[in-house]
Amino acid sequence: MLLSELFLPVLMVMFMLTVGAYVVAVLDRLIAGAFGAPQAGRVWLAPMARGAWLMTQHANATEAPDWQAWRLAPALYLALAAIGLAVVPWSESLVATDLVTSVVLWGSVEALATVVIFLHGWSANALLALIGGYRYVALGLSYILISMFVLIGVALPAESLQFTQVVASQEALWNVIRQPLGLPLFLIVGLGMTFWGPLNLADSKDLAGGTASEISGPPRLVWDVARAAMLVAFSGVAASAFLGGWMGPWLPGPLWMAIKMLAVLLVLLLLGRVLPRIAPERCVTLMWVVLLPLSFIDLVWAGIGALL
Amino acid sequence: MTLTTLLLLAAALIGIGIYGALSQQSFVMLMMGLELILNGVMLAAVAFWAFSGAGAPEGQLLTIIVMAVMAIEMAMGFALVVAVFRGKQADMTESLTGLKH
Amino acid sequence: MNHGIGIDITFLSLATLAVVTGWRVFRTDSMVRASFFLLVSFIAVGVIMILLAAEYLGVAMFFMMAVEMTVMALFMVMFMMNPAGLNPMNMVHQERIAIGAGIVGFLVLGAMALLAAFPDQPVSADLEPVRSLGNEMLGDSMLIFESAGIVLLTTMIGVVVLSSHRGRYGAAAVGSLPPGLEPGGDPAGKLEEDEEEESGGHQHHHHH
Repeated sequence: MLLSELFLPVLMVMFMLTVGAYVVAVLDRLIAGAFGAPQAGRVWLAPMARGAWLMTQHANATEAPDWQAWRLAPALYLALAAIGLAVVPWSESLVATDLVTSVVLWGSVEALATVVIFLHGWSANALLALIGGYRYVALGLSYILISMFVLIGVALPAESLQFTQVVASQEALWNVIRQPLGLPLFLIVGLGMTFWGPLNLADSKDLAGGTASEISGPPRLVWDVARAAMLVAFSGVAASAFLGGWMGPWLPGPLWMAIKMLAVLLVLLLLGRVLPRIAPERCVTLMWVVLLPLSFIDLVWAGIGALL
Repeated sequence: MTLTTLLLLAAALIGIGIYGALSQQSFVMLMMGLELILNGVMLAAVAFWAFSGAGAPEGQLLTIIVMAVMAIEMAMGFALVVAVFRGKQADMTESLTGLKH
Repeated sequence: MNHGIGIDITFLSLATLAVVTGWRVFRTDSMVRASFFLLVSFIAVGVIMILLAAEYLGVAMFFMMAVEMTVMALFMVMFMMNPAGLNPMNMVHQERIAIGAGIVGFLVLGAMALLAAFPDQPVSADLEPVRSLGNEMLGDSMLIFESAGIVLLTTMIGVVVLSSHRGRYGAAAVGSLPPGLEPGGDPAGKLEEDEEEESGGHQHHHHH
């Protein structure tokens, strides 16, 4: 019982964390290479080389940081990514944690991510890191709200807060068609939550790296892996909530899931490379004035669909 | 995990909360005491729901209402702190003597 | 309710975590750390709720408290002099009374927990807690649930009114400042502070 209920799920999530983070690193390099960015070394080995290099580097120290919080924050972000990966269903029965309220649990992962990122920026006791942390808090609230409305819209036709039920409800029609606004909004939230590409405002270049401006060595490695893993968790949630999860003809369920996750990842990474960065204050306006009302419309649309 | 142990835990949380709410001088810390009290209250409500309410749905509803109360308490508390801070540049309970006289 | 020893161990460690972090809230020097200690206490209680089969409430606790505590930490940094905890800090009044009241509260409630006889009616295994909660919220108790929503809306309006810069009769802070001693002069309550600052400045001047 202990083996099947504790050991196997943990092993599965750990496997996903490492493989997922590696896949993100490789894909990002491949896309960068396709756009003509210079490549140092081979694409397949470069992430490992960087990881090994970071492992041997000295971990930076600032003046009087909050040591516990500073060292814990990257690990906590990784743990949140692991929780996110744990709720993603690979088939009807292959789920690490099939909690009845797994959709809400994912929502709380997003909320707790705000806390962890703020903690990461605040505990370094450095100016630019603190600004990055504050920026994320200002933006994170709008990401959480948008994601919550979109996910409620997905839970409506399933009449359940469980991801396995949400996937099962897409037997006839995928949610990406049933609720056309849902997936685009959710992808934007995903870029925001992992501060990737155009929405990289917490760790951005104008803040010399933001919350991560003062970390180096192993903590830096954990932070980078955690961001990549969160992107993978995010694509898993998006694939199960909008793209029918494990469903598909001919191939076995987990394989379909992997294909869909890869597709979402590719779109996210491509968007991250193609779109220009927005200024944070304009981003807040965009989120609250444009995207949040759009998520209301998505929810109303889902409600009308559920009534009909 | 029995009803008694759960209620003892709730009592401990409420006790610490009472200490915090009565002793802290800063408004925000005072509110943390109140939140800790409500934390214990919610735990007790869920414990009663699970062990001696036969799973009556009102037990869970009560907890949801307490959460709403918590949100209201926070929002009103912070609005008052902002108003007081703007007027008096202070965030200590001692500086609010206007109602004493 | 029958459960294994694993659940008991988990519960005991979570209970210890909840109490210790709850206590640390009032014993740490850093205000930001205090609000995140409170968050850990809430999360421990949320996990205990999930162990008690209240799956929605436990998870709801996580995201409600995560957002609340972030806001709290922000206000801490805004208003407090010591967010980072670089200096030792203890800002308490009537501490003896408060400790006494806390202990008395714990003893009375604990005695109730130990001595009172509560009915033994555990949740039946076939109850679906989330479904029953949803049916209750939008069924029999809809009025209660919706009034909570209305009260939250009222709170939002009240909060905006209280904290906004401008009111119908000018700046919000006007009413809360004492009037000047002479027309158009400095507020009466502020005079002392201003004088101190001024004299401080003069002294500084004389030194050079």
